[in-house]
Amino acid sequence: MKKLGIVFTLVILGFQFANAQLIKVVQEVFGMDCAPCAYGLERGLKKLDGLEKIVVSLNDGKAYLTLASGNTVTLKKIQDEVKKNGFSARNAKVIMIGDLNKVGNEWVMKVNNETFKMEDRQSLNIKNLASGLVKMSVEVADEDDKQLSNNWAIKIIEILALER
Amino acid sequence: MKKYLFIIIAFFPLIKINAQGHGPLYGLQTPTLAKGGFDFNAAAMSIATENDQSFMIRYVWSYGITEDVQVNITTPTVINRLSIPTGTRGNSNMPANGDIEASIWYRFFSNAFGVGKRIESTAVLSGSAPTEKNRGQTKVSNSLHAAVSTGYASRTWYAWVGGGYQYYFQKGPDQLGDLPYGSLVVGYRPNLFMGDYPKPDWRIFVESLAEFPGNNSFEGQLTPPSERGKKVMIGPSFLGLYGAWGLSFGALFPAYQDINQNIAKEKYRLSFNISYWL
Repeated sequence: MKKLGIVFTLVILGFQFANAQLIKVVQEVFGMDCAPCAYGLERGLKKLDGLEKIVVSLNDGKAYLTLASGNTVTLKKIQDEVKKNGFSARNAKVIMIGDLNKVGNEWVMKVNNETFKMEDRQSLNIKNLASGLVKMSVEVADEDDKQLSNNWAIKIIEILALER
Repeated sequence: MKKYLFIIIAFFPLIKINAQGHGPLYGLQTPTLAKGGFDFNAAAMSIATENDQSFMIRYVWSYGITEDVQVNITTPTVINRLSIPTGTRGNSNMPANGDIEASIWYRFFSNAFGVGKRIESTAVLSGSAPTEKNRGQTKVSNSLHAAVSTGYASRTWYAWVGGGYQYYFQKGPDQLGDLPYGSLVVGYRPNLFMGDYPKPDWRIFVESLAEFPGNNSFEGQLTPPSERGKKVMIGPSFLGLYGAWGLSFGALFPAYQDINQNIAKEKYRLSFNISYWL
């Protein structure tokens, strides 16, 4: 019970000092067929400030990014790098932390100047969700590579932690 | 020779390169470099005819202006020239003759539609200047080369089909014959080499070129006969990729040759290429 109390306190403290940020990104990449393709993408993504670990898998067609605490990496920067290498950035799975707010009928989270908006259908169906600092796992819908902006449609996979 | 090797080795650490797909050795290909990417190639090439054999080291520097536009410059170090030319580029992407060539590649269509899968088309426009005065007995001038290719890439299969045309300008009373050609390449990555990055990545290609060399014009006279030559060359090539390094080698052999008297019959073409990305 005492241990549980300490863990709970640490989690709360962790939230207190956490900035809104991306924590992990699994970016699906189409068209990447060979080792130099993966090598080029890996090198490009390594230039992102705040990258802790990167693994590029040709067989999965994915780039797995782990980001350092306090990073300012955006999903657009990641997808721009994919595009620069001549490939197509598709869906992404993201673990992120930030303030989740209800704006009108929509749930919205802002992270590093990017806006992640919950898909309408899920917004209507979701229950027991409240505004506050939330760590969540989401699926980000594919956007046209030629028209990338800082706005993303998301589907929440799991709420990992929240502070109301 | 030593001097060139020294320059290559000395400049390796200075080249900033992003990598991109690497294609066949002889046939036309479609991949272009990443935006801001550099690539350096050094190739050893040889063409054997019935009585002679050429040897050449060739260097290619490539830069990706965008992910769809790439510029290249290639320079040769000719070790032995053929006394009678073969009327070929030898290699679609970098000529096996004595030309210095600058080219621009434009990937005008690209559709990445699956994991590891894409279809793309690339156009090539090149201008070249010779490093020798005569090719055989014909004075050699600058030339233009244009080509288009379309290809399919996946983790297992590759295929490219394309065609090109090289035109040599007149030099005094002489003019080298033009060269329309087509290329077809099929590539396969065996299961054994499906290991994920960063494991070594090997591919096998079957490459073929169909070439239709025109006649040279010597002293203002078209050398007889006036019909174009016809050649079909086919052979295997292998491409190995590991990290920043690429290694490819292969050979082409004539499957069919009906050529003019002023062009030497080919026995085989050999090529060995090292690429480096950083």
